[in-house]
Amino acid sequence: MSMLEVQNIHTYYDNIHALKGISLNVNEGEIVTLIGANGAGKSTTLKTISGLTKPREGAVRLHGNPLHTLPAHKIVEQGIIMVPEGRRVFGVLTVSENLEMGAFARNDKQAIAQDLEKVYSLFPRLKERRNQLAGTLSGGEQQMLATGRGLMGRPRVLLLDEPSMGLAPVLVDLIFDTIQQLHKQGTTILLVEQNARMALQVADRGYVLQSGEIVLSDSAENLRANESVQKAYLGIS
Amino acid sequence: MEKYRTAITIGLVGAAITLLFGGWSMILVGTVVGAITGLNYGQHSAKRGALDKAREVLLPALIGNIIMGLGGTLYTFVVVPLTGKSLNYDQPLKLGTGRVPLDSIAVFIIGLAAGIAIGVAVAALIAYLQGLPENVRRVAFIASLIVFLFGLPFFDQVTGLDWIAAIITIQIFILLALGLNIVVGYAGLLDLGYAAFFAIGAYTTGLLSSPQIDIYWNFWLVIWVAAAMAAFAGLVLGAPTLPLRGDYLAIVTLGFGEIIPVVFRNLISVKLVEPFTRICFVGCDPKVDVVRWCIYACQGALDLTAGEKGINPIGRPMIPFTDELLFSSRSYLPWYFLVFGLIVLSIFFIRRLRNSRIGRAWMAIREDELAASQMGIDPVKTKLLAFSMGATFSGFAGAFYGSYISAIFPSVFDFSVSVIILCMVILGGLGNMVGVIIGGILIMGTDRLFLPQIATLLKDFMRHSVLGNVSNPVLKDFLEISVDPNQMRLAIFGLVLVIMMVVRPEGLVPSEERRAELHEGEEEHGDAATEAAA
Repeated sequence: MSMLEVQNIHTYYDNIHALKGISLNVNEGEIVTLIGANGAGKSTTLKTISGLTKPREGAVRLHGNPLHTLPAHKIVEQGIIMVPEGRRVFGVLTVSENLEMGAFARNDKQAIAQDLEKVYSLFPRLKERRNQLAGTLSGGEQQMLATGRGLMGRPRVLLLDEPSMGLAPVLVDLIFDTIQQLHKQGTTILLVEQNARMALQVADRGYVLQSGEIVLSDSAENLRANESVQKAYLGIS
Repeated sequence: MEKYRTAITIGLVGAAITLLFGGWSMILVGTVVGAITGLNYGQHSAKRGALDKAREVLLPALIGNIIMGLGGTLYTFVVVPLTGKSLNYDQPLKLGTGRVPLDSIAVFIIGLAAGIAIGVAVAALIAYLQGLPENVRRVAFIASLIVFLFGLPFFDQVTGLDWIAAIITIQIFILLALGLNIVVGYAGLLDLGYAAFFAIGAYTTGLLSSPQIDIYWNFWLVIWVAAAMAAFAGLVLGAPTLPLRGDYLAIVTLGFGEIIPVVFRNLISVKLVEPFTRICFVGCDPKVDVVRWCIYACQGALDLTAGEKGINPIGRPMIPFTDELLFSSRSYLPWYFLVFGLIVLSIFFIRRLRNSRIGRAWMAIREDELAASQMGIDPVKTKLLAFSMGATFSGFAGAFYGSYISAIFPSVFDFSVSVIILCMVILGGLGNMVGVIIGGILIMGTDRLFLPQIATLLKDFMRHSVLGNVSNPVLKDFLEISVDPNQMRLAIFGLVLVIMMVVRPEGLVPSEERRAELHEGEEEHGDAATEAAA
């Protein structure tokens, strides 16, 4: 059985039927990516998994336990941690305080300190700036911080929402390097990306979303080779 | 000259106060002017050594205090004669039951000399402390503050300055502002009906220790019950408002603040009967109502709050082994120390709260609710806690107020009270307790001390020097009635608030977070520019 299972979820924004029966699953240690155009429902899928929006139908399960009945902060305690779109770091806190906030739901002080060191070794840049206010960081550094903050919660599944949004190409490479590094360390990741090319390079499997429905699911390799995917999302004709 | 500018400004503010009170006030104002000057110069001094700092501050402090003294001089030789008092009147010292005869000129000379001397000495001391290592400095600061605050009421009593009643009111409002600071400053929830919790605390005290419904509980128990009731009211208000944000929340709290005094005004004939079993809980008349059981107050409808007449008299606190009348309407000292103790206790608790997990959760919710929920913070619980914690401290304030005034009326807790408390928090600096206390002193000091004094002086001045020379009776009437700064108090606060928002939106003593937030926009702008350039 896979680790995270999404079964036929329907999510609405008032009357707008945003997700029309999405089903997907993520196995332990995998990187799975959701690609699709603007408004296809990628972010809504992540928000539904993390409990920020509730599905009207369907279920989300972690190791068979239902998540969709829990409020958002309880889902975090289950180990489903989202790095939200647009970073959303706490601008008035320093870098290290932001990282500590990421471990808010945990009580194990020693392990938190260890994880803090791990995050600093993953992003040496954050260590340099640990006493700087997060609001004064550049966009790339804020993305590192948001990712690091997510890792501080010891995620069983890390949900990354558009990590490359608004970043310079060099920084996009850096972020994706980090994702691969996390993958090697065994972190399970569900990645939502506009940048389908990069996403399919790091992912094991992928789902293609189109106006609230999954139209294609396959291994990343096959998706890269798929003609219609190439046309629509990779810009190859 | 540049070097002395701050000292001169501080001195001028001091002079404005001594101009109103003259005489003994110069010693008090001199001490405060000295302390602020010492703090300011000690902090900005380039010198490292403690003694060097102290030496450096001497001259500015002297200048500032001489300016302060000018205010008192003007009071004695210009203001007093203009208001119709003779230049030289009796102003004896009160030492317990004895009196030391002094006249106003002697008081002026002593006040001026001592004011300047003490002011300079305090400035030197404070500057000296700034040069000491951190831990020593903290203790020394707190110690000197305690000495000042302990000495203050005795000085006030001996000299007949009569500020103590106003000071106690200021303290009550500081307590309220500290509580509101939790809700608005820490959790970022705009509460426009905070006076409601104050009212609930006061009415709980009133009901539980007065002849109103014949319950006479001990004050030391009632104050906790009042705090608990206020906290509970905070939960009740919080629960339905949780999905609301920003303006909508403010409107709901505004409504709550309006409802509570109306409820207390109208709880004058309470009767509670369960219609099916005919069990009467409260206030049935056995002759009229057909009831099976009556549980409480069975001589007709119960008058719970006495409406506009208010609850009166309310019980006073008593301390075992001391005079039963220790806390009476005639002596202010015990009240001063009681509310002082409450403030210290509240500061201690609020500090602990702020640095705890709850404090961090408040901060996160204030900054970004979505991100906070992804940290595993429960927004519902966090906001409810903020509301009820904030309310708790106003419960303390309400209990103290009810017992101190010994009578409470619904009209005391109207909207303007909520607004004034909010003004204190904003003026001083959202989220910073020192700022909030300073804001409280400034606003309530103006309201209860300076404006009434200006009003009295102005009234005497008009009567003695102006009205006699006005022949037009209409103009005379107009001048007699309309020249009253008390009537303009709300306008003055409004003006101050508008000016503050334009000049210094983060408050007088802002918290670091708030300052960062208000300048964040500028930096982001710079960031975007550099990124675009790259």
